[in-house]
Amino acid sequence: MPTQIDFNKLSRDLRLDLLEMVYRSGSGHIGGSLSSLDIFASVYHSDIFNFKKDHFILSAGHLACAFYTVLASKKYFPKSELVTYGNFGSILQGHISAHVPGVEYSSGSLGQGLSFAAGLAIAQPQNSVVCLTSDGEQQEGQIWEAVMFANKYKLKNLINIIDCNGLQIDGTIDQIMPLTNLSDKYTQFGWSVISVDGHNLPELIKTLKQAKQSSKPVCIIAKTILGKGISFMENNFKYHDIKNLPESDYLLAKNELQNYHP
Amino acid sequence: MNSKIITPNQSVRKVFGKTIFELAKTNPNLYVVSMDLMSSLSLQEFVNTYPDRFIECGIAENNAAAVAAGLAKAGKTVFLCSFACFSPALNWAVVRQSICYNNLDVKIVGSHAGLGTADLGATHQMLEDIAIMSTLPNMEVFVPIDAVETEKITVAISNSHRPAYLRLFRPDTPTISDPKTDFKIGTSQVLKTGKDITVIGYGPILTQVFEAQEKLPHISLEIINCSSLKPLDSQTILKSVKKTGRLISIEDHQKNGGLGQVVADLILSSSLSPKFINLSVNNQFGQSARDCTQLYDFYGIGTKALINVAQKICK
Repeated sequence: MPTQIDFNKLSRDLRLDLLEMVYRSGSGHIGGSLSSLDIFASVYHSDIFNFKKDHFILSAGHLACAFYTVLASKKYFPKSELVTYGNFGSILQGHISAHVPGVEYSSGSLGQGLSFAAGLAIAQPQNSVVCLTSDGEQQEGQIWEAVMFANKYKLKNLINIIDCNGLQIDGTIDQIMPLTNLSDKYTQFGWSVISVDGHNLPELIKTLKQAKQSSKPVCIIAKTILGKGISFMENNFKYHDIKNLPESDYLLAKNELQNYHP
Repeated sequence: MNSKIITPNQSVRKVFGKTIFELAKTNPNLYVVSMDLMSSLSLQEFVNTYPDRFIECGIAENNAAAVAAGLAKAGKTVFLCSFACFSPALNWAVVRQSICYNNLDVKIVGSHAGLGTADLGATHQMLEDIAIMSTLPNMEVFVPIDAVETEKITVAISNSHRPAYLRLFRPDTPTISDPKTDFKIGTSQVLKTGKDITVIGYGPILTQVFEAQEKLPHISLEIINCSSLKPLDSQTILKSVKKTGRLISIEDHQKNGGLGQVVADLILSSSLSPKFINLSVNNQFGQSARDCTQLYDFYGIGTKALINVAQKICK
């Protein structure tokens, strides 16, 4: 890691890239991508993991735009590809796809990636396996099958980061299916739990370092804001997924992001 | 060639377990993922000898399928073992995404499939597995006719490095296949040559066809063992049908999405127009019985039904 990263600038630049991608390509899950973007950045723009041997599994496959943006920023593929997202012939599939350089697992159907990550973790106990799930995704029963499994096999090399923005497609998580103290649940299932501000990059990086030293599987509860950085999208579940963002909204969003501070 | 039915019956599950144990001796990357049915698939010897390569997921089929995919991503060859009514029936969407779309080296072993699981009743008599597995891109589908072919197919798929489905039968079965011939993915075997009717099927139900032939002295059946359902050996099937001009498909499975419909598509897409009869379970659930032959007769896929349609088709 370079000695001094300007984390504010990194967060701002990635957001601007993401907005360009969603606007120019014509679609994208922008709300969750803006809530999870700093989590991706903390994993890839730090020296905690070596992805020649460690693994990152995106279970919430609809967060593809954020992942593609961060991978492009790390030069896994040219940034010019981003605007082809979701178009016919593009490598950048609508949901995350292992056809893309740097992506190990294709997903889109929620709840499966944590089990996949656990399989990798049991096969390679010497390597770290980081998985990103969403808070709505915790409603899937398979998540809890994987949580039990990781405890049984003491997968201390497994980290599950949960992007907790409190919203899902049709409304708030509390309305649709409350998760009722996620932290207690993971603790009861034998995991270590760390809570963190999911938009504070230095704190996220510190938390990941701490998680890597754990003697148990670790759940990082990252508190985030859906649509973070674009005022009219923030905490508005209607921005889960958008098609054809109007030019006026794009210009407004771009203007706000140019002055973005976490 | 003409195969014979050899008794005493053998357990396909015991031979499967033994084969996995033998393969594990030389393949350190072979893993088994279980869902609390290890003993039903005769895997005790493997578990005792290679406990580190045995991953027990408990009664949690979705997690197990994606754990298997993760292991395969790390370079392992994984046998995901359960009853067909649970895996792939219950975890099909995980098989679709985590195994097939990600194209990983996982073999889904669905035991206790078909009406062979007689006494356990409809919930456990999986009659839809061939349909749901054949429709998945990247997935190959195999059903051994007996214990001997179970060993051959298990060995073949352990070397394929692709997703595969292996359907196993619960009761002990007579031996029909020749231990001396190799199994090759994508090939069918003509078990008995004949000139009047091509009868094609898969699994131990084919013993019924041999029994029917004994009671049909004036009709000569050509019997094809279609143990490689996907990829399908179109050439062997078309060559036989061209010769006989008559085709009967028989299977311990639903009509919709079964071999009969696959073969009908093959025939209609060819220049042939044989007389065709599809013997399969027609849009019904199974039920309990002491012996699967009672159920084969009830659902019209047994020896009696076969004799009837063979006589009818030859008139």
